[in-house]
Amino acid sequence: MGYNELKSKIDAQQVTFLDGGIGTEILRRGYTWASHQLKSEPELNLEIHQDYIDAGADVITTNTFQLSKRSFRNHFANNEHLETLGAKGLLDRASELIHESVSLADKARRSMNHNDILIAASITTLEWCFRPDRSPDAEEIYDEYLEELTDYADAGADIFLFETFNSTPEAEVAIRAAKEIGIPAWVAFVPYQDGRLLGGQSMKEVADSMARNEPDVLLLNCAPPDHITAGLKQLAPLWNKPLGVYAHVGKFNPPEWQFTDEYSADQHLHECKQWHDLGATVIGGCCGTTPAYIKKVTEFFS
Amino acid sequence: MSYSFIKQKLSTNEPVLLDGGNGTEVLRRGVRWRQHGIEDAPDVIREIHIDYIEAGIDILTTHTFNLTKRNFINFFRDGDHMALIGALGLEKRAMELCRSAVSLAREALTQTGKEGIIPLAGSISPVMHLFRPDLSPSENDCLAHHKECVDILSDSGVDLIFFEGMNNSREAKAALQAASGFDLPVWMSFVPGLDGNLLNGESLSDTADLARSQGAEAVLVSAGSIPMIKKGLPNIINGSPCGAKAIIGRYSPPSWKPDFYPRFEDTDEVSPAEFSQEVNSWLDQGVQIVGGSSGTTPEHIRAVRKMIG
Repeated sequence: MGYNELKSKIDAQQVTFLDGGIGTEILRRGYTWASHQLKSEPELNLEIHQDYIDAGADVITTNTFQLSKRSFRNHFANNEHLETLGAKGLLDRASELIHESVSLADKARRSMNHNDILIAASITTLEWCFRPDRSPDAEEIYDEYLEELTDYADAGADIFLFETFNSTPEAEVAIRAAKEIGIPAWVAFVPYQDGRLLGGQSMKEVADSMARNEPDVLLLNCAPPDHITAGLKQLAPLWNKPLGVYAHVGKFNPPEWQFTDEYSADQHLHECKQWHDLGATVIGGCCGTTPAYIKKVTEFFS
Repeated sequence: MSYSFIKQKLSTNEPVLLDGGNGTEVLRRGVRWRQHGIEDAPDVIREIHIDYIEAGIDILTTHTFNLTKRNFINFFRDGDHMALIGALGLEKRAMELCRSAVSLAREALTQTGKEGIIPLAGSISPVMHLFRPDLSPSENDCLAHHKECVDILSDSGVDLIFFEGMNNSREAKAALQAASGFDLPVWMSFVPGLDGNLLNGESLSDTADLARSQGAEAVLVSAGSIPMIKKGLPNIINGSPCGAKAIIGRYSPPSWKPDFYPRFEDTDEVSPAEFSQEVNSWLDQGVQIVGGSSGTTPEHIRAVRKMIG
């Protein structure tokens, strides 16, 4: 299935399934998330993708959250400092790992004879996703996005999934770069408990901005179920195009994740039904969700 | 007080040997980097301290670099956001870990019979990433932050406060002010840039003078490669106690971490023997306090002790 087929499904308002957490799944399976384990544990990556395909995901995401050239550069005072003190090839590392990640996702779908499954490139904000105060100046980041998206496009990603975005200006730049490349752009924002974006914008501002910039799917993600619900209640009435959600379950325990039983797979499904009633048709899981969570969702809605 | 031994050495111009990398050593020994390894592997932390003590150090440093409340809050929008989506008790985690870290260092001193002989330095990092002076907050924020850190370490019973890796004069001044209300000696190390100045471009010699005038009993350069340390060193030497610690290897952070993460590559580029030769050249220049930053191991420190005698 190419993107057109998936688009028909989405346009027909059939429920479309994303996968669940990947970073947290790596932790849950006993590994650290250092360097995303893309080169050190390719089999682990492959298995997680396969488990999500098995669970019924239509779209699997690359294990690339927070992986960008800038994230490496951010550990140094300036380029000269990085060249002197940084590991060899550090500035090429993001690009290499991006290629690796797409290739592993592709290998997973082929290994299960599921070439119909699409690969979404997981791309978050250039600065730390939960720190809107550090958002870069939107005027200055277009080339950076274009470079990063080109890597994903060259590697064969089918969708750009801009996720855990905290404000619209950066999302607008990301969408513009995606359109330049010509691959569908899905944009997921983080809502807060008050139903506004983590960066403070209202859902009205989000809807207005996105109506002008036209992402292929608009989503809410990376927040606990009650924050997702609060955001969705405000966004859904303002948005008549494809809408999606994926919530996290558990607690962020930097630098790792605390798995809690606050939202069991059954409880999570119950939340998904409510989100579907509110208008969300693209559904998956964020940090802390597992293949078992996704399986519950796909079995119910299929 | 064990610090009087150090004071004695400093006044008679004898070398003072510090330990080497703690964080890099935790990773090298296969411990997963979360909560500094303190919860998962307290035995390894204690063992690293013991290895440095047995290598012949004069001062032991707590494994508390980059272990502050701010290092947890930094992952979140703010304290409220952390309370909502963060793990339970995260706001108190750094404080608890710091106390455990001091206890582990104390246990190492007791086990080796060095309690009361080797003083314990409480390590405090910059508020933000040590290599990002541009992120350093306002003077007031720095003051409040460092006061809290000094308070915890002082209360846990360290013998001196060691501000490590300061990268700008504003924060250095605030940190020294924060420590001034406590009855503990204070040392401060600065991160050099490539040109012998402070990492943010300020004059290293002016900042070193400022630190001394604000109460720092010793001033060091640290967290730079050997050539960077060499370049910075002449700018802090002025006859009063000063020192140097160098990094071995190349910094290889994971992409997703907003704070310092002690992973280094190519740390075998400088052997213990070569390292001790470098240290010897620093001593020749008039430095008294020497040790290792990230990447150095107990073997490097042992080689230096052998050379110093």
